[in-house]
Amino acid sequence: MTALVCPFCGPRHLREFEFHKTVPAPGAGAFARVYERVDSLDVSVEHWQHVGGCRGWLQVRRNPSSGAVLEIHLVGGGGGQ
Amino acid sequence: MSAGTRRGTRLSDQPVRFSFDGREYCGQLGDTASSALLAAGVRAMGRSIKYRRLRGVLTAGPEEPNALVTVGTAPAVIPNVAAPQLVLTDGLVMRSQNRWPTLRYDAASLLQAGGGFFGAGFYYKTFIWPSWHTYESLIRRLAGLGEAPGASTLGPVAIEHLSCDVLVAGAGAAGLAAARAAARAGARVVLCEREPVCGGELEFEGGLIDGHPAAHWTAATLAELASLGARLLTSTTLVGGSGGELIAHAEPGGLPGANAVYKIQPRAFVIAMGAVERPIAFIDNDRPGVMLLGAAERYLACYGVRAGTDVVLFANHDRVYATAARLVAGGIRVRAIVDTRSEAAVGLARLRGEHALSGTECLPGHAVLAAEGGRAVTGARVAPLAAPDQARTIRCDAILVSGGWSPALHAGLQDGGTRQFAAELGSFVASDQPRWRAIAGAANGVLELGEVLADGRAAGERAARLAGARGDGGVAPIAAGDGVPRLAPFWRSPASRAAEKRQFIDFQNDVTVADVRHSLAEGFVDIEHVKRYTALGFGSDQGRLGGLLGAAVLAECRGARLEDVGTSRLRPPFHPVTMRSLAGLRVGPMLRPARRTPLHDWHAANGAVLEAAGLWMRPRYYRANGSDAFTAGVAEAARVRTTGGIADGSTLGKIEVVGPDAGAFLDTLYLTKASTIKVGRSKYMVNLREDGMVLDDGIVLRLAADRFIATTGSAHGLHMLSHFEHYRDTEWSGRAVTVTDVTEAWAAIVVAGPPSLDALRVVLGADWHDVLGRLTHMDFASGRFAGHGLTVLRASFSGELAFELHCRPAIASRLWEALLAAGLAPYGLEALDILRVEKGYLVGSEFNGQTTPYDLGMDGLVGLGNACVGRELLDRPAFHEPSRPRLVGVRAGDGKARFLAGAQLTTAAEPTRPCGYVTSSVYSPALGEWVGLALVARAHAAEGTRLTARDPLRDGDRVVRIVPAVHFDPAGARMKS
Repeated sequence: MTALVCPFCGPRHLREFEFHKTVPAPGAGAFARVYERVDSLDVSVEHWQHVGGCRGWLQVRRNPSSGAVLEIHLVGGGGGQ
Repeated sequence: MSAGTRRGTRLSDQPVRFSFDGREYCGQLGDTASSALLAAGVRAMGRSIKYRRLRGVLTAGPEEPNALVTVGTAPAVIPNVAAPQLVLTDGLVMRSQNRWPTLRYDAASLLQAGGGFFGAGFYYKTFIWPSWHTYESLIRRLAGLGEAPGASTLGPVAIEHLSCDVLVAGAGAAGLAAARAAARAGARVVLCEREPVCGGELEFEGGLIDGHPAAHWTAATLAELASLGARLLTSTTLVGGSGGELIAHAEPGGLPGANAVYKIQPRAFVIAMGAVERPIAFIDNDRPGVMLLGAAERYLACYGVRAGTDVVLFANHDRVYATAARLVAGGIRVRAIVDTRSEAAVGLARLRGEHALSGTECLPGHAVLAAEGGRAVTGARVAPLAAPDQARTIRCDAILVSGGWSPALHAGLQDGGTRQFAAELGSFVASDQPRWRAIAGAANGVLELGEVLADGRAAGERAARLAGARGDGGVAPIAAGDGVPRLAPFWRSPASRAAEKRQFIDFQNDVTVADVRHSLAEGFVDIEHVKRYTALGFGSDQGRLGGLLGAAVLAECRGARLEDVGTSRLRPPFHPVTMRSLAGLRVGPMLRPARRTPLHDWHAANGAVLEAAGLWMRPRYYRANGSDAFTAGVAEAARVRTTGGIADGSTLGKIEVVGPDAGAFLDTLYLTKASTIKVGRSKYMVNLREDGMVLDDGIVLRLAADRFIATTGSAHGLHMLSHFEHYRDTEWSGRAVTVTDVTEAWAAIVVAGPPSLDALRVVLGADWHDVLGRLTHMDFASGRFAGHGLTVLRASFSGELAFELHCRPAIASRLWEALLAAGLAPYGLEALDILRVEKGYLVGSEFNGQTTPYDLGMDGLVGLGNACVGRELLDRPAFHEPSRPRLVGVRAGDGKARFLAGAQLTTAAEPTRPCGYVTSSVYSPALGEWVGLALVARAHAAEGTRLTARDPLRDGDRVVRIVPAVHFDPAGARMKS
């Protein structure tokens, strides 16, 4: 996986993005949200920031084993500034 | 010494002068170092690394193990340049390697006499008594390949990123066919070729394609590719890559240290990198004069150089006969063709009959047992395989050997792919490729020209389809070349055990058949272990010539099959790369971007010693105040508290938060509420991380009901920005708040010291007189100065009466110089640190990500706190345990006793178990001694406790006692005056 398609900027090289963390399971408590990671070979939901571009935060669903990106959108679903 | 003009596909008539080992020679434009030297009659081009045996050139490609030369004159030399790749330029200076004092007479070659003693593994068993260091300097002088350069005249390397539909690596028959098919189908193609000329074997093998000579087809295909918009990169070698990205180095002229690096992201990738010819091991097969068969053909066709006048050919496949015919046509006398396959097995009687007519002896079922001659080949010792003792010598001056071809596996084995044994080749082929990658041509084990072209065309078209192109790849060209070369694997000629020591497998590391047998006897069974024990496959050829040979010999010694032994794992880079190429442009000042403040030029011109703080260049101290940081820092700090000073605070992070929801937004990010700040006021605020630890502190100013500026520490600036942006895009997305980094939009000047208010009144003029007088601590006012906006905030990081001036960068210098004229002197980071430690103010050393607000004495703020990021996890019982640190001040009580940040604090009861450490320490001019801040476990943090500060590497032990963190002016009277 060498590129991500930013919803604002289009396909950009991976080095423009910064990985933040793997998103915890929905409904997790404060402790789980901060310290626990969901580890799965098939699907990883992650937060990345396009620091070298629009600086938007992106939610990326991808297959960590193959690197294939399944879905990518602005965290929070849209709007933003 | 000049030769008569030679004709070759790469040559032009223009002469080129060069020198080798101090002697002048003349070649022709287009020559490589090895072709010109061979043409000039130079056979010996280097010595081997261990035994220092005289060596000549073995190949005509980058896998050359012997003829490695050093180019240039000391100290700006380039070592280990493969002579067959080095294109001659006028005035080139080269010398051979691994020899002293001269190539002809080398002192260390006397080691040859001890052949068996220096076999594989001898390093581990000798040089033990009295100690390895006794031999170290001698070994270091003898070891290594070439000499490291002391300087470089090469420029920086540019890195180009490109993406395309189809990348084709290799522009031989298969690669050209693939590229053409892909381009015809409508794909954007990048074709990458390591030689300066395209065509691969077509350059010299000849044959007819679509009725025309192969060279014609190559030129026509390249022209068509150009017209279809394909990009051709010549002298560019693919070296590796991962994750779908491939990296290629351009080395024009064959000089290492690429002058361009390409990072290519193709949608589909066709590997057409060909196969490497491999040698056969026989006694003294490393003598100058022993060369690969294909290499000799290449030298003849491309450079018009004859590898020898009388040659013996030694091979195990059909192609040797066609090659012999081409050599004879080129004026070389072929004395004998030694074919290891028996008469009955091959049935080429007619072909042999033709050769017999031209005076060539055909010897099926024979092998060359040894190369005879000292400094160069003078004859070949040949015997029937059925009766090896009936040997005879055939006089010759070159032995051209070919054991078959090994497909280039490396690119097909990274990012997926497995190895498969191809019995008809006696070699391995890469298979099980991922969808987006295919292998074509000789790299795929296909060796007959017509099949190669068809294989390439099919791969190219398929790649184009994968990339989304819809067109047609065209029909495959019809070719008539050498037929399918049948091959019977043959790895080494028979030899006695003693003689196995001189049958070379890996030329670059002097690995012989005996070494492989020996490592097996030592218990190293796996090919990976044998590789490491013998050094087989190390070096710049990376086992391309000898790897399979070594595996075959190991299989023979083990009594196993070659496919079960396998070869060692191939890893990128496939081709040696220099550190320069990896660095690209990021060298020296280009390593990281330098961020400069608007006042940078003034600092640089006025004796500031600038230091990198993160990416920012900041003045540490000013030379006028002292010759070193310590003296100057103390002087500057002392002066601030008396006659005042100014500092450049522009690096402070500033984030503008705007919108009707801005206040509520900030409330969730800070421990205390921002929404209650009145317009025109600011407040000291602390951020927490999600886990409850303190992230950073800063001042939040409220400019309007819906406009705030949040300042952050310089070091955490970008992190805080990302933190704000994260919450803007998650919980607050769709709400009415914007977050903008305005750090570089505002210059900031700190004015501090007792005279600061008066100086400001003078500088800012009558308009500001009353406004300034009304400012209380944490108030700010905005107005104009010199036609631009200016905000003056009354806040202090020094404990003095102080103001922060925020203005547009355009007037920063003017404001600064006006302040200087009013009698204030500049101070730098050293002084800033002294002033803040004296007052117990905190920076990153204390906000180290492991401290909670309770640890730092901010209990009061927590009490006032609201629901914010990190608040939930802040309320953990663990954060109140006695082992949690507490922020305290420390002093030694002795003016001369120094202690530094990092010193560990221990109690008398447990002198080896630290209960805390010093986080910051400075020499305080106001107090005349070293003072510091420390984090100490609560149980031991009572005021007055005596602890020992232990710093074994620097100051040793000091007795310190715990004092309140605010060392100077505890009541804060100076700030509020």
